[in-house]
Amino acid sequence: MFADGLFIGFAVLAVLGAVGLVLFRHPMNGAMSFVVTLISLAGLYALLSAKLIFALQLIVYAGAIMSLIVFIIMFLNIQPGDLPQEETKLFYVLGGGIVVLPIGLFLAKIVKSLPEHSTEILGNNFGGVKEVGLLLFRDWLIPFEIVSILLLVSLVGAVILAGKRGTTK
Amino acid sequence: MEQSVNYLGLIPLFPLLGAVLIGLLHVFTCNRTKLPEKVYGILACVGPVLSFVMALKVFVALKGLPPESRFLVHKAFTWFSVGDLHINMGFLADPLSCLMLLFVTFIGSLIHIYSIGYMGGDKNYGKFFAYMNLFLGSMLVLVLGDGPVVMFVGWEGVGLCSYLLISFYSEDRSNVLAGNKAFIVNRVGDLGFVLGMSFLFWAIGAQGFDYLSLKAHVNDPAMTQGVLLTVCLLLFVGATGKSAQIPLYVWLPDAMAGPTPVSALIHAATMVTAGVYMVARFSFLYAEVALAGSIVAWVGILTALLAAIFGMFQEDIKKVLAYSTVSQLGYMFAGVGVAAYSAGIFHVFTHAFFKALLFLGAGSVIYALHHEQNIWKMGGLKNKMPKTYVTMVIGALALAGCPPFSGFFSKDEILYSALATGHFGIWAVGVLVAGMTAYYTFRMIFVVFHGEPRDHHAYEHAQESPAVMTVPLIILAVGALFAGLLNLPAIFGGDQIVSHWLAPSVTEHHPHAGVFIEILAIGASVVAFAIGIKIAYAKFGKGAPEPSFTGFADFAYHKFYVDELYDKVIVQPYKAIGSSIWKVIEPNVTDAPVKGVARLYMVLGTAFKVFQVGYVRVYALYMVLGLSLMSLLLSQSLN
Amino acid sequence: MMHCYLYLSIILFCLGIVGVIARRNVFTVFMSVELMLNAANLAFITFSRVHESMDGHVLAMMVMAVAAAEAALALAVVILLHKHKSKLDTNVFSLLKG
Repeated sequence: MFADGLFIGFAVLAVLGAVGLVLFRHPMNGAMSFVVTLISLAGLYALLSAKLIFALQLIVYAGAIMSLIVFIIMFLNIQPGDLPQEETKLFYVLGGGIVVLPIGLFLAKIVKSLPEHSTEILGNNFGGVKEVGLLLFRDWLIPFEIVSILLLVSLVGAVILAGKRGTTK
Repeated sequence: MEQSVNYLGLIPLFPLLGAVLIGLLHVFTCNRTKLPEKVYGILACVGPVLSFVMALKVFVALKGLPPESRFLVHKAFTWFSVGDLHINMGFLADPLSCLMLLFVTFIGSLIHIYSIGYMGGDKNYGKFFAYMNLFLGSMLVLVLGDGPVVMFVGWEGVGLCSYLLISFYSEDRSNVLAGNKAFIVNRVGDLGFVLGMSFLFWAIGAQGFDYLSLKAHVNDPAMTQGVLLTVCLLLFVGATGKSAQIPLYVWLPDAMAGPTPVSALIHAATMVTAGVYMVARFSFLYAEVALAGSIVAWVGILTALLAAIFGMFQEDIKKVLAYSTVSQLGYMFAGVGVAAYSAGIFHVFTHAFFKALLFLGAGSVIYALHHEQNIWKMGGLKNKMPKTYVTMVIGALALAGCPPFSGFFSKDEILYSALATGHFGIWAVGVLVAGMTAYYTFRMIFVVFHGEPRDHHAYEHAQESPAVMTVPLIILAVGALFAGLLNLPAIFGGDQIVSHWLAPSVTEHHPHAGVFIEILAIGASVVAFAIGIKIAYAKFGKGAPEPSFTGFADFAYHKFYVDELYDKVIVQPYKAIGSSIWKVIEPNVTDAPVKGVARLYMVLGTAFKVFQVGYVRVYALYMVLGLSLMSLLLSQSLN
Repeated sequence: MMHCYLYLSIILFCLGIVGVIARRNVFTVFMSVELMLNAANLAFITFSRVHESMDGHVLAMMVMAVAAAEAALALAVVILLHKHKSKLDTNVFSLLKG
């Protein structure tokens, strides 16, 4: 029951955070709201016995990626005039919701057809650093290496893109 | 039965290789320092002469076999094989093709040697000999091919070469037009040949499409009288094109635009004899339908009459000879039409000698008079050019059918066969034409060589041609004199060597009508000849002024306006249809839908442009909308 | 409970789509994409738990790595965009308009 209560709490927080992300006008508010969603998701991962992912979500996502985003938002020193004027935002969001609704309902229908399964917390042999690490470096070694190349490429790309204006001036 | 020899394929190969070699030499040297003419001349003569030697070898080999198994075959390679159609590049030498082979290579070689002199100084000397070799090679493929398809290769080859050579002096537009005319008229005939060939294959081609297989299957149930008649007539259409018969004879007189040796080659050795050869080759078909033979014979003899009428009024020395060829070809078709195949082929054989002789002699005259061809500008040349004169008179006597020259025996054989098989009409017209032939031939001889010179300036400069030209003339004159003796009929104590030689190749029945009929035929021919030559002598023997034509003569001089008629009835409407298609149907019927489709896409493009708003999120919206619709649809089925 | 996790994943994913198609602010659009990635991650982890196999965890890590790479590039692009036009509006760029 405690776990259920935690799930409901995290779920509500996550949805609220996501709604906030979609609705807030200033990106800083949206980013903060999104951090709430990310942290709630980390809690949900913990409830699903994914210890390593729980930690990574907090450290890499909520920590590193979001701080990068927030850093850029602050770095750009956004003035109110820089932001787009979105008077009809609510209308668009409602319209978007209507468009998306069939997709959500369709997916929900599929989920409903799946058999229910308990998600009680598992013991020591699941989701820890050792177990996931072994899997990662045995069965998933090549994808792992490919992802490292991807990261390298994006690093180079980011340097070139962001540095372009500086060098041409 | 059949004996395979591997040197048959070499016979056409020699001239063809020569053509390639000379052609390449010409192409690579024509813009730089030219090779001496001797190089081309010798190269050009090597191929034909080697072929002639090989032909003699074939003849000896055939002679060594018993008469009923005189077949030599050589399958060089499988050309193509599609479904039931298996075509070998195969060659067949039997008595018929061997006879053709011998005189084609012999006369071809002589004409090549003669050309060394005649073409001297021409700037396209190399090109000329390349074409000549190709021409001869194609003719040899035609003669030696072991089936209709290989024959067709040579058939088209000679058509192409005639086009190339007739329009050889291509600076003059009318020569090019004459070449075009020859080619296009021949195409009409070729269509008939292709159709006939297709019919034949459709009927009995599946068991092998060469002469021997076809001959073996000619009595299959698929070969009904109707099919046979269709095939025979369609093939004959091809023959009328190639051998210049009614209604497709119009190209041959225009073909005089080419150099004179080309005319000699076309008229004597290659090209025009192809049609007669083809009919004789398919004699096993023509023997099955009497009607087809009669049609062939009547077309032939009417052509002979018509051409003889035209020939009596021509003023160009080469045109006179051209019409005489058409006329003699008519005789040949009359011969093969009345199922006297050996007589027809024998006339081809003798005609090759005397017609080559006459053309080369005419060429010698033209050469001496600096390319003057109008007989009314000549006269009295017999003193200036004695060798040419004597040889040409021999040729003329042979052509006119004077005994004992070669033409007499072969022509008489045809007329006798017509009479003996009951074709009195053909015989009567044939005798009439024989008289006309004697008249126009000696009209030409008298006007050119006798009497007073009409153009004194040209006469002063005229002189006998060099030995390289006169020696072939003399050799041919000997041939024209004695070739007829090869097939001496029994009444003169001969035993018809050629007919017996050809007997295994052609399907014919020798009529025996009795000595009276034979004497009647011979007597009528001789009388016709005598009358013709008498009239010619009376009118032109002492020299005569250039006549002015009126009435019927004028009509005949203009060849009954047949060319103009063809132009009005066929060429002009064809052009009109072509231009109307170009101007009306093409833009409205064929182009319009294509342009319409293009316009449709332009309209659609402008319509769909609305959706290309340029905002990335809207594109994402389209994607989501699509997903959404798919979800809706799939939800329906997911229950 | 599995259903509840998956429903939550669906809801978050749909909110992400709405964010992408309804908003013009570059940062919001970008973070909405991240939100969709997280929704997918949640589904991965849930199924991983259900099947008691940790492949889903590995995939989630990969997704995070991709998200990191995307963040680096996307933010570089945003910086360029801001330098270029001093705007954070996606509608400023409509070069594909037909």
